[in-house]
Amino acid sequence: MLLTFARNQEKAIALWLKDFILTMQEFFLFSVRTFISFPKVKRYWRDVLDQASICGTDSIPIVLVSAISIGSLLAIEVGNLLEDFGAKTMLGRSTSLSVIRELGPLLMGLMLSARFGSRNGAELGAMQISEQIDALRAFGTDPVAKLVMPRLVAALIMFLPLTALSDYAGLQSAAYMAEHYHRLDPGIFWNAVYPRLAPKDFVVGFLKAPVFAIIITLVSSFNGFSARGGTAGVGRSTIKGIVVSSGLVLIANFYVSKIVLENM
Amino acid sequence: MIELRKVSLKYGDKEILKNVSLSVKDNTIKAILGPSGVGKSTILKLMLGLIKPNKGQVIIDGTDITNMKESSLYSIRRKMGMVFQGNALFDSLTISQNLGFFLRENMKLPEEEIARRVTEQIQFAGLEGYEDQLPESLSGGMRRRVAIGRALIFKPHMILFDEPTAGLDPVSSKKILSLISSLRHNNNLGAVIVTHIIDDVFNVADCVAVLYQGEIIFDDVTEKLHEAQHPFIRSILSDKILEQ
Repeated sequence: MLLTFARNQEKAIALWLKDFILTMQEFFLFSVRTFISFPKVKRYWRDVLDQASICGTDSIPIVLVSAISIGSLLAIEVGNLLEDFGAKTMLGRSTSLSVIRELGPLLMGLMLSARFGSRNGAELGAMQISEQIDALRAFGTDPVAKLVMPRLVAALIMFLPLTALSDYAGLQSAAYMAEHYHRLDPGIFWNAVYPRLAPKDFVVGFLKAPVFAIIITLVSSFNGFSARGGTAGVGRSTIKGIVVSSGLVLIANFYVSKIVLENM
Repeated sequence: MIELRKVSLKYGDKEILKNVSLSVKDNTIKAILGPSGVGKSTILKLMLGLIKPNKGQVIIDGTDITNMKESSLYSIRRKMGMVFQGNALFDSLTISQNLGFFLRENMKLPEEEIARRVTEQIQFAGLEGYEDQLPESLSGGMRRRVAIGRALIFKPHMILFDEPTAGLDPVSSKKILSLISSLRHNNNLGAVIVTHIIDDVFNVADCVAVLYQGEIIFDDVTEKLHEAQHPFIRSILSDKILEQ
C-alpha cells in the first residue's frame, strides 16, 4: 500500500513537472512573439495610447496613495529608531535611500501588478473564453501584436514616470512627517537627501521599472490568453496572473538591487 | 476547396478525431452533423489552422496548411469567413465598428469603401438603425446576423458556420437559415455548417458528413441520408435533434 502511494505521488509529481515545463515553454514562445511584434507598434499606436492611459494616467491615484502612506510611515518609524541613537538628522538620508532604491519602485510595481495585471488577465481571459481571440486569428489578425504588444509598450513607457512620481510622493510625505512629527528642520532633512544620493541609487530604482513592466504585462496577458472553463476560468487565470506577477516583482526587486549595487 | 486527409487529433488521452477525411467543394453547402462534444467545431478550427492535427493533412485550395507558420496562415484564413457559435463579437465596439474592424485591420481600403461595405452588410443583415448599438443590446438572432455580416464583409470564397441556429428561437433560426441559403445564390459562396440539428441540414445543405465517435460514418449528398443504414443515423433521423 505504501508502495502504491509512493508510485501515485511519483506520477503526480512527474505530471506536474511536465505541465510546468510545457507552460514555461509556451510562456517563452508567447514572450518572444510579443517582442517580435514590436515593429508593428506604429500600426497599433492608438492601442498603445489607450493602454498608456489605463496603466499610466488612471493608475496615478493608487500609486500616490501607496507612496504617501509608506513614505509617511517610514519617516515616523525610522525617525523614532534614529532618535534613540541621537541620529535623527540622518532621517533624510535613510528614507531617501529606502524610497528611491526600493520602496518607490516596489510599491509602484505591486500596485500596478494588482491594477494593470488584473485588468489584463480579466479582459484577455474574457476575450479568450468568448472566442474573440480566436476570431482575431480566424480573420487574419495577430492577437499578440494587437492585444499584448501595445500593453507592453505602454507599460514600458509609463512605468518610468510612475516610479518617479512614487519616489517624489514618498519623499515629500517623509519630509512632511520629519518636519511635523519629528520637528526636524526641512533644511536638515533635504541636506541629508541630495548630497548623499549617488547615480547608482537612481539606476537601481529606475532599472526596476522596465523589468516590472515586462513581468507584469507578459505574465498577466499570458494567463489571460490561457483562460479556460468559463467565467470561473477567467477568475482563476486572473488570480494566477496577479499572484505570479507579484511574486516575480518581489524576486526581481531583490536581484536588480543586488546585481546593480554589487557592480556599480 | 477544403480537404481534410486522414486527420487525427487528441486532447491529452482523449481521441477527438480518428482518420477523418472529407472535402468541401466551392459553391456547395456542406453540413457536418453530429452530437454535441463530438469534435465538430474542432473540424472548423482545423480548417482555419487555428489548431493543428496530430496526424493527417489540411489542404486549402491545394495548399497544405497543416504545418504552416501562423504568420503565413493569415492570408489563407482571409479566404474564409467564420461565424463562431457564441458570435465572438467585440463587445466594446458598436455594430458598425464590429463589421468594419477587420477591413480596417487587414485591408488597405479607403474609409469610404469600408463605410460602403459596412452599410451593405447592415442592409443584408436587416440591421438598419442598429449601427451604433453595442452587441449586448441586440437579441441573439441579431447578433448572429452581425457575425455573419462580419464574416461576409471580406468577400470570402467559403464561410464556416459553427452551430448557426443553436440557442435561437424558431423565427430567428428560420431567418438565419434563409440568410445562409441566399449566400450561395447571391454571392456564389460555399459554406460549411456544423450542427446538431437535422432540420438545418435538410433546409440548407447540399451534402452532409455525419461525425460519430470521432469518425465520419456518412459523407454524401443530403438526400441519401435517408437511405443510410448505420444505426446511429437511423436513430437520429427519428429524433431529429441530437443530444448526448
